[in-house]
Amino acid sequence: MNAIASFAAVPDSESSPGVWQLAWRRLRGDRVAMVALAVVAAYAALVVASLVGLVAADWTREVGVPYANPRFLGPTVDESVKIERPSGPRVDLSAVDPLAPRYAEWDARAAQIQSVSAPHLSTLTFGGDRLGRDVIAKAIKGTQVSILVGVFAALLATAIGTALGAVAGYFGGVAGDLMEWFYNVFTAVPGILLIFAFAAVFGRGTATVVLILALTGWTAVYRLVRAEYLKHRGREYVLAAEAIGASHFSRMFEHILPNVSHVVLVQLSLLVVFFIKAEVILSFLGLGVPIDSVSWGTMLNEAQSELILGKWWQLAAATAFMAVFVTAFSTLTDALRDALDPRLRQG
Amino acid sequence: MTTSSTAQDGGVAAPLLAVRDLRVSFRLGKSKPFEAVRGVSFEIAPRSTVALVGESGSGKSVSAMSIVRLLPDNAIVDAASRAEFGGVDLLHAPLDQVRALRGRDISFVFQEPQSSLNPVFTVGDQVAEALRLHTKLTRSRARARAEELFSEVGIPQPRDRMNAYPHELSGGQQQRVMIAAAIACEPRLLIADEPTTALDVTVQRQIIELLRGLQQRYAMSILFISHDLGLVGEFADAVVVMREGQVRERGSTVGIFGAPQDPYTRSLIACRPRLDQRPRRLPTIEDFLAAGGEQTAEPAPRPLRPNHGPQLIEAAGLRKQYRLKTGLLRRRTIEAVRDASFTLERGRTLGVVGESGSGKTTLGLLLMRLVEATAGQVRFDGEDVLRMKREPLMKFRRRVQVIFQNPYASLNPRFTIGQILAEPMRIHAIGADESERNARIAALLDRVGLARASLHKYPHEFSGGQRQRIAIARALSLRPDLLICDESVSALDVSVQANVLNLLLDLQDEFGISYLFISHDLAVVKYMADEILVMNGGDIVERGSAEAIYRDPQHDYTKKLLASIPRGYMPPSHV
Amino acid sequence: MLSYALRRTWQMVPTLAGVVLLVFFLFKWFGGDPATIIAGLGATQQQIEAIRHTLGLDRPWWVQLGIFLREIVTLNWGASWATNEPVAHLFLTRLPATLTVMIPILVLQTVVSIPFGLGVAVVRGSLTDRAAMAITTVALSVSFLVYVLVGQWLFGFYLAWFPIQGWSDSVLTNLIHYAPLPILLAMFVSIAPTTRLYRSFFLDELGHDYVRTARARGASEARVLLRHVMRNATIPILTNIATELPGVVVGSFLIEVFFSIPGLGREILLAVNRSDYPVIQAVTIYLALLTMLINLLADLLYRVVDPRVRLN
Repeated sequence: MNAIASFAAVPDSESSPGVWQLAWRRLRGDRVAMVALAVVAAYAALVVASLVGLVAADWTREVGVPYANPRFLGPTVDESVKIERPSGPRVDLSAVDPLAPRYAEWDARAAQIQSVSAPHLSTLTFGGDRLGRDVIAKAIKGTQVSILVGVFAALLATAIGTALGAVAGYFGGVAGDLMEWFYNVFTAVPGILLIFAFAAVFGRGTATVVLILALTGWTAVYRLVRAEYLKHRGREYVLAAEAIGASHFSRMFEHILPNVSHVVLVQLSLLVVFFIKAEVILSFLGLGVPIDSVSWGTMLNEAQSELILGKWWQLAAATAFMAVFVTAFSTLTDALRDALDPRLRQG
Repeated sequence: MTTSSTAQDGGVAAPLLAVRDLRVSFRLGKSKPFEAVRGVSFEIAPRSTVALVGESGSGKSVSAMSIVRLLPDNAIVDAASRAEFGGVDLLHAPLDQVRALRGRDISFVFQEPQSSLNPVFTVGDQVAEALRLHTKLTRSRARARAEELFSEVGIPQPRDRMNAYPHELSGGQQQRVMIAAAIACEPRLLIADEPTTALDVTVQRQIIELLRGLQQRYAMSILFISHDLGLVGEFADAVVVMREGQVRERGSTVGIFGAPQDPYTRSLIACRPRLDQRPRRLPTIEDFLAAGGEQTAEPAPRPLRPNHGPQLIEAAGLRKQYRLKTGLLRRRTIEAVRDASFTLERGRTLGVVGESGSGKTTLGLLLMRLVEATAGQVRFDGEDVLRMKREPLMKFRRRVQVIFQNPYASLNPRFTIGQILAEPMRIHAIGADESERNARIAALLDRVGLARASLHKYPHEFSGGQRQRIAIARALSLRPDLLICDESVSALDVSVQANVLNLLLDLQDEFGISYLFISHDLAVVKYMADEILVMNGGDIVERGSAEAIYRDPQHDYTKKLLASIPRGYMPPSHV
Repeated sequence: MLSYALRRTWQMVPTLAGVVLLVFFLFKWFGGDPATIIAGLGATQQQIEAIRHTLGLDRPWWVQLGIFLREIVTLNWGASWATNEPVAHLFLTRLPATLTVMIPILVLQTVVSIPFGLGVAVVRGSLTDRAAMAITTVALSVSFLVYVLVGQWLFGFYLAWFPIQGWSDSVLTNLIHYAPLPILLAMFVSIAPTTRLYRSFFLDELGHDYVRTARARGASEARVLLRHVMRNATIPILTNIATELPGVVVGSFLIEVFFSIPGLGREILLAVNRSDYPVIQAVTIYLALLTMLINLLADLLYRVVDPRVRLN
């Protein structure tokens, strides 16, 4: 077996980079993108930490006074004003108050009992909401909820859209017509209206929101994937695969899908941002996450009435957490799209 | 860089355009700028045609575009470069001044007329606009003049055509419109960048004749850019040969073709298959560059293969129809292939030649069952191909393979070369185990002349010619009986074509493969094939041995096709 | 043209049928029991049964589907479960308010985004372009809610330049007095994404060969942009407007909620919160029909504007 021997003797030349490696290299050279990536990674860590309960697990506890100020503002004036206790001996009210003889006894007993509940703090790190809950804790928990809803909804929508789009684009014919009919039905109704209709029927709930968003958003992915499959199925490398005897399944998923995946990835990222914003609006309107849960949307809902009272910290916290994440993620998506653009690839 | 000893045409008159030491590079992100043009100099005399010839990547288009500063934003033109036209250095004059020249003194005709014309304006308006940009004609007078120009460039029914949109015209007519707009202001220099490359060869002939006629009438100069030395040899006065951004040789046409000095020029002339010869191997660039410029002796002619061998393919009455919906209920039928019947014997090559829309590609796809036939019968080694079911079809696929035209599209960009070559063997369960398959792959790479280290690389790292070899290796891995070459060398540079054609011939000698060789290029088909089918509009209009077709064409279309082939430079005695 | 229009209209039928089926089965299988909803809390079983019978809910599902279809065709949706207002009347009275706000928004947003998009496309890669892109990215990361909340507080409450909320019966008063703040806020938010989109359209066109030809003929940059590129770019721009048009009718429900504008969007939201099924079903189906009609008109318009599509 001379051939094998000589083959093995050839030094293993460095594997040349594939599309993803080339894209990663290009991304690495983009400093802005790297910063964005770091920010997104930090948020991911935060989400995981919040999910397992490492942080913000006790966000429901009313640790502060209602509308507690942020620490840097100092406690509100009202809190520090105390009504002065009148000095002087205690008046004996036995004549009018039947319980009066026992007050001393009860006072003594009360002094023995330890108070378990901590006193409500007058200021919190970044303030408290109407019930005195820590705004930072709520913001972190809200981050977890909003981001997870957005990501899962995007994943589900992408899965549905890709599967249907691949079938429609590759096979055409009756299956394609059926998919097109589906697509037409779902896009005939304006998106927001469809969401409302689903919401009216399914009600509130985190999983429900994910489902509603996915059922409305798959159409964008479908359209894209179908167009890509239509474009690729006539390409010569697919014809060549058919010529050597590759099956339909092989052609669809081993040959075409890797050439389409970068487009799908960018679309997935766009959907994540879109769904997060949609979830915020739904939760704001009371159609999103359940009452016992918190998201950026519910925080903004509460902020609505707080703003008139001059309490701005919940609005600021929710907005800041959301804006930083969405900016970083959008920037990363744009950079990813540029890095993956085949036109920039050499050769 | 060598210069021919013969003096240039035009004598002592001042040149119309003098390009001196042109250097152009492109900024590409963070890496070093790419040098596209590295010190190019040439002159264009008044009333002459100068051809700028080179293969892809030679920098010929960039050189032409830089004359009028039509380059993209990331282009850098060296400060020392000069392009003198009418006493003004265009490269360093104010942009307004250069813009005033564009379309008026120097005009362009581009390669792809379909995309070069604005799709939302009528062709009449576009030509009128070319006039109104530089003259003070009113709208109606400009349109009237445009109509005159239309008939001058040979567009039938000019008045009706004025109101047509670009997509309603054929490729040839679109190019005539581009030419009309280009000569509208009677320029002194017309720059034509591969104007006929995208057109059929018969249309190409008409456009070339048109340009020659216009040149005489308007006494203008033409800078004709092309990759086809044979084409420009027919009508250019002077030739400039470029390679990789530099001028290899320049001189008069007589000098270049009669006594080419530079090895690259000589290889360009010699590598094209000629109609009147049939050597065993085509000379390649390597032969010329390695031998240090020595012209190797003409190789012996290749013998024809006997045609009484066993029949491999027998096709009868093949037909392919496409039905399109045009109205609510109406349908239109397009017949891509109409009643095709032919045979092919083992070990022989059957050539199929025709222009776009002739049905030649569809024929190949029908044979491979990549497109389902509407009617007809095909027998492969006695078996009925068109009605084969799954299992026999898989066996059939092993025996018939195809090499497509576009080397950039026929390999999956996401697969490594190793994966591409292993896939056919994997599907057909060839080779007992992994190591045996690897051994076969290594042998294949050797056979087609590629490094074994290519295994781990991706297609985008290889040139067009190399990718075609990979495609050949892939087809070869199944040891097919029949190989269909569908325009397999049409997208390659001339110098690379010869390599691939030689490889195909060697493989045929070694393995006894039969070929169905499809191309629009009659010279290449005649070189490769034993027998030829000429197709036009879905019909096979003529068939015969390669020699017979060439020497004694019967059908009018075949005669027209032969007459359109560029013959290269013909010294006066050969008229 | 006529045969094309007819063919397209014919193709709308299966889609409309699909929407009807979707709405019917969605509410039937997943929605709550209408009888219970109408009867309200504290109703007796008898009352619920009586309502079921009146609504025909004890009949087989295909009969119910038939009733549903009849209601659609005769435009008789009955009345809202909550207010007993006829649904058709609801539609007609709420639509003008929505349109008074949404149409100016759509018009202004297009008119402003075109020059912005073109300007940014022309200076692609420069500092201006990158700064503009960065600003729009950040601007888009803030939820629309925040803009409205803060805008309403700032301009309506703090600075008192506009009324915080309100609506009147006169279109003119609305346009001058009550609509400006919501229109301004909505436009402010939508300019960023629209500009980015139009920028990509213009960039696309600038990469085409005909631009090079125009320059080669000696046309000035201004002429190339304003005549050649613009004319081609109007095709995707018009398509984009046509896609957004159906959404206009639903309106920006958020704006209507915040500013208490009695429009269709707010009405739908109220219906969702009250589980007012007839309203939601009716609006869904009619809007679907409207969307299909608008798409058809857009397609016909497309054929007028783009010569390549005209012939088959």
